[in-house]
Amino acid sequence: MHNTISLTTGTKPPQGLSPFDETTALSSPHERPGPCLDELFIEVGYYQEKKHGQGAAGDVFLSKKTSDGHLISVLSDGLGSGIKAGVLATLTATMAIQFVAEDIPIQRAARIIMKTLPVCKERNISYATFTIVDIDGMNRVRIIEYDNPPYVLIRQSVECEPIKKMLLIHRRGVPRESLPEPFANARMYYSAFEALPGDRLIFFSDGIPQSGMGSAPFPLGWGNPAVHSYIQKEIAEKPDISARELAQHLVFRALLHDGYRPFDDITCGVIYFRKPRKLLVLSGPPIDSNRDRELADLFARFPGKKIVCGGTTATIIGRELGRPVRVCLKDIDPEVPPASAMEGADLVTEGIITLGKVAELLEQGPRFDRFRANAALRLVEFLLDSDHIDFVVGTKINEAHQDPSMPVELEIRRNIVKRIASLLEERYLKKTTIRFI
Amino acid sequence: MKELPMYQHKTVKVVVCSGTACYVMGGSELLLLDDHIPSRWKGHVELEGSPCLGFCKNKTQGKAPFAIVDGEVLSEATIPGILKKIEEKLGET
Repeated sequence: MHNTISLTTGTKPPQGLSPFDETTALSSPHERPGPCLDELFIEVGYYQEKKHGQGAAGDVFLSKKTSDGHLISVLSDGLGSGIKAGVLATLTATMAIQFVAEDIPIQRAARIIMKTLPVCKERNISYATFTIVDIDGMNRVRIIEYDNPPYVLIRQSVECEPIKKMLLIHRRGVPRESLPEPFANARMYYSAFEALPGDRLIFFSDGIPQSGMGSAPFPLGWGNPAVHSYIQKEIAEKPDISARELAQHLVFRALLHDGYRPFDDITCGVIYFRKPRKLLVLSGPPIDSNRDRELADLFARFPGKKIVCGGTTATIIGRELGRPVRVCLKDIDPEVPPASAMEGADLVTEGIITLGKVAELLEQGPRFDRFRANAALRLVEFLLDSDHIDFVVGTKINEAHQDPSMPVELEIRRNIVKRIASLLEERYLKKTTIRFI
Repeated sequence: MKELPMYQHKTVKVVVCSGTACYVMGGSELLLLDDHIPSRWKGHVELEGSPCLGFCKNKTQGKAPFAIVDGEVLSEATIPGILKKIEEKLGET
């Protein structure tokens, strides 16, 4: 593990940041070991607000983990707003994700996209911009940017400026000589560096630097320099701020500048190379009651945050460890049973109804009612604020739930936990394990 | 001076189950019992939730939702049913 990180501010590239060529970078994959690979988790978080009055977002943020250990994130901003912009941005982002996932080098993928994208006849600019981030299993990062605000790399709370290589691409359907250079050729910027523990990569759509445009405090918008210093301030105030939280804070700030009626779609993505935060979720009584003690020991010994989902499960653990479980009757929600409190547990909830609601919330995406405080919302917060999540699922069937007079929504625990875990893996790029007991 | 009612010296403890089976069968309503307690009983009824009382696993106990009023188990509990039982326990009837 690299314990010493040399710091450079200003325009000089810090160690490990070099505009190395894609081919040379790929030819020597085993020369330098990545910084403490087992202990590093790449957290990807994003937040988005639609332009005021629009039904669909014109920005698209997609992320994917491939089977060969690559993590790919794309932010695309479609020209204009609403559904048309959304379709073009989705097209761009999906192409980028698929190409890079299929091992097409990032620069070539960008070229193909540029040649495919339609060009606006009136403005002679492309219909969508993009930032493609490709991180391999050795934590080497390659980024290609086209027309989005430049990304920000924060290393040990200092902003670093990697050297970027400009790539000129001739635009499809635009006669070479008929237009001044910036219109005939698209400029993309390629950069590459090796990520170190604690690095944060922040990229956003122009809705953020342009927020507040025309207002008295920001006649020309918030502006990139101010955005960068805001990011640094946020990190200085809370050095372990999660990717999800930082993305949210930036978007909320931009929203504030726009008076909560955004003039454009606002999207921010953050990638944080962090030590994994661990979470244990216990749900369901063991098939054999002789294993109750084992379950309680698992709970007591786990190094990290702990959540118990299920009344019977909580009763078992409480009994085995001699800790009372008290239901909090303060926040009664019409849809979700109340949470309880037990010493050593970060959260105790009811089982199947709450887990069903959690799956529903995770499917809805990063926007949900954050002003309510029911047990399912709190559980979702814990899941999203963790990186490695271990589910331990008891497989004993509660006969009372099999009564035909019970609502059919009472699903089988195993299925619902599997659904939650796969949502967390695929949609939120978490690492999960499920054990049955 | 008017004689104090007998229940002024007594507190009745009500435990409501908030486990899955009880919750879907109407237990969610029972957790709001506090809103239905007449003012003259205030201070004499103690409401508590339980993550699961475990009665749903035993068919002989009756059907969900369950509540315990002063140590006595009520099955298919309703707000009026619990109030009636509290009244009984307080010695009003």
